[in-house]
Amino acid sequence: MSQPLNFTEMPGAPERPQDQFLNPEDIMYVRDLKMHFPVTKGLLKRQVGSVKAVDGVTFRVKRGQTLGIVGESGSGKSTIGNCLLKNVNITSGDIFYDGNNMKDINPRAMRRMRKNMQMITQDPFASLDPRMTILDVVCEGLRIHKQIDNKHEMEDMAIRQLEMVGINPDFRFRYPHEFSGGQRQRISIARALALQPNFIVCDEVVSALDVSIQAQIVSLLMQLQESMNLTYVFIGHDLSVVRYISNNVAVLYLGKIMEMTSSDELYDNPLHPYTRALISAAPIPNPIVDRARERILLEGEIPSPINPPKGCNFCTRCPYATKRCHEEEPEMIDVGNEHYVACHLVADRTGGKVENG
Amino acid sequence: MEQEVVLEVQNLKTYFYNNGRELRAVDDLSYKVHKGECVAIIGESGSGKTVSALSILRLISYPPGLVMGGKILFEGKDLLEMEDSEYRQIRGSDISMIFQEPSAALNPVDTIGNQIVENILLHTDMTKEQARARAIELLAEVGIPNAEERVKQYPFEFSGGMQQRAMIAMAMSCNPKVLIADEPTTALDVTVQAQVLEQLNKLRQDHNMALIIITHNLGVVARYADSVKIMYGGKIVEAGTVEDVFLRPAHPYTLGLIRAVPRLDLPRSHGLYTIEGEPPDMSKIAPNCCAFHTRCKYADEKCRTCRPQLEAVGEGHLCACWHKDMLEEERKEVLSE
Repeated sequence: MSQPLNFTEMPGAPERPQDQFLNPEDIMYVRDLKMHFPVTKGLLKRQVGSVKAVDGVTFRVKRGQTLGIVGESGSGKSTIGNCLLKNVNITSGDIFYDGNNMKDINPRAMRRMRKNMQMITQDPFASLDPRMTILDVVCEGLRIHKQIDNKHEMEDMAIRQLEMVGINPDFRFRYPHEFSGGQRQRISIARALALQPNFIVCDEVVSALDVSIQAQIVSLLMQLQESMNLTYVFIGHDLSVVRYISNNVAVLYLGKIMEMTSSDELYDNPLHPYTRALISAAPIPNPIVDRARERILLEGEIPSPINPPKGCNFCTRCPYATKRCHEEEPEMIDVGNEHYVACHLVADRTGGKVENG
Repeated sequence: MEQEVVLEVQNLKTYFYNNGRELRAVDDLSYKVHKGECVAIIGESGSGKTVSALSILRLISYPPGLVMGGKILFEGKDLLEMEDSEYRQIRGSDISMIFQEPSAALNPVDTIGNQIVENILLHTDMTKEQARARAIELLAEVGIPNAEERVKQYPFEFSGGMQQRAMIAMAMSCNPKVLIADEPTTALDVTVQAQVLEQLNKLRQDHNMALIIITHNLGVVARYADSVKIMYGGKIVEAGTVEDVFLRPAHPYTLGLIRAVPRLDLPRSHGLYTIEGEPPDMSKIAPNCCAFHTRCKYADEKCRTCRPQLEAVGEGHLCACWHKDMLEEERKEVLSE
């Protein structure tokens, strides 16, 4: 629906060579993204440091697929979501959406683009205006983007959206408080879909929901993806849910990607010690399978992003950390099969090549 | 597990009254907890799992809540019959509880140490110095490094995981025989959750203490629990050992729940089963029907008009369902996975 903005025509456009990294099947390409928030002190707000919420993250999202981002609190996963939609001004790095560098898109063009890029947030109690009927909630975007002028058409459109997410359209004049958590999350989805976007950031969308409702929402999202050819970035802390919905998963720790690969490969062949610990920490709802599994218990907690450790970000909690890990930051290496890991130990063992088995 | 019974809940009924409407939050609940056993109570929001725990601690205030009937036997004595002063001796010492949100349960304007000492002084005849030494010992036992310094700090100086450890230390301070943990790790990160649960389980084994874990996380239950109670609509719908409930589920709700959780160990192509509909509105459940009938694919006229009772389907394995025999096929399908 949107005209891809051709950035060669834009004033001050960046030099062409970047194109070689751009792949037409990627809807989004993020390169070395950094988002640092200043820490200020005193009356004059002197900057005394910075929170390195996201610190050099590179990934691609293929059209029509889902990239999962899994991490603990403080890992910067929600900040990435905000950066992708340009809700915050990034510190450095590049985000390409549909081949356009978001840096070069002016606010007016950005507003037009936003209808293609939507976000669904964790708390459906906080994200819906309590004084708007759900019909208004769903129509708000249509009104702002002046997609439909006719009031009746707009209502018809909203009814179709509500039906699609499994809300009885007869309830369209009700207010958010009259709905349960799962229903509200459905309404949030209807709102996000009203503008026919192609890219949606889902930030912890099922974390606040009951087990049975969680499964409903995950299934709904997957079904909508299929029918509308949507691309998701699915952010969460529960590895089992994230892995289930995603084609690829990036494991984030303290603002950096530790490991990134396809969902099945991540469980079958986890290479990074942190990924292994995460998998081990997520119990499997089957007593025989779970009690037979290897347990890796990590010491301590995630360090402060104001003062990340020197060397590898994970070195303070890694059971295998060597002297080198405390001094030198590991590079992200490709071990083959689009499996990326940032760990000295893996790099040494594989020599940067594929390891079978 | 032929240990003696420490806590027995018999036909507990806790109702809430609001504008003349009766809401049966916990309706006819019975179970036993053995010494050193880990009992898990699973349920979705509104299933009455927390209210049942608060009833054991007699923390239901009237209005609006009232324990309408039943007995809670602790070492043979009925807790509900006791005088308040007598019960106060037990609550916090023999039976204690940790809550979901440690940051809300701790007093923000007092040090962690003082809050633990307060409980010790209330229940034992230790001196202040002894109590303080004990508090440090407890903090170290729950895995807080540098306990001598930490004991002087305020809750805001602790991270979420550390706060929950401090809560556990407080609950453990008088060597409880029963520890109730209400969603103890829901607010914590995955790796920290694993640490805290490991710690709780170790304490249970070291002190031969009974642990009641209230949760909606099936994985946690599969990992730690000995016996499991599944609650729905204020009632237990299935109860048994962890193997019974997870490997031979007899209630359609239990089976649905197990299938609704994405499994990390299965390939993505596996598919997710969904239970349709929403957990019921407790004020609208008719007393003479199965509370699950609105979401159950096996439901028929009988389920709508007649309430099933818990019946044995195996040794110590109970299930309240009219159609528990019809599940055979679905169960086979799940087990073959």
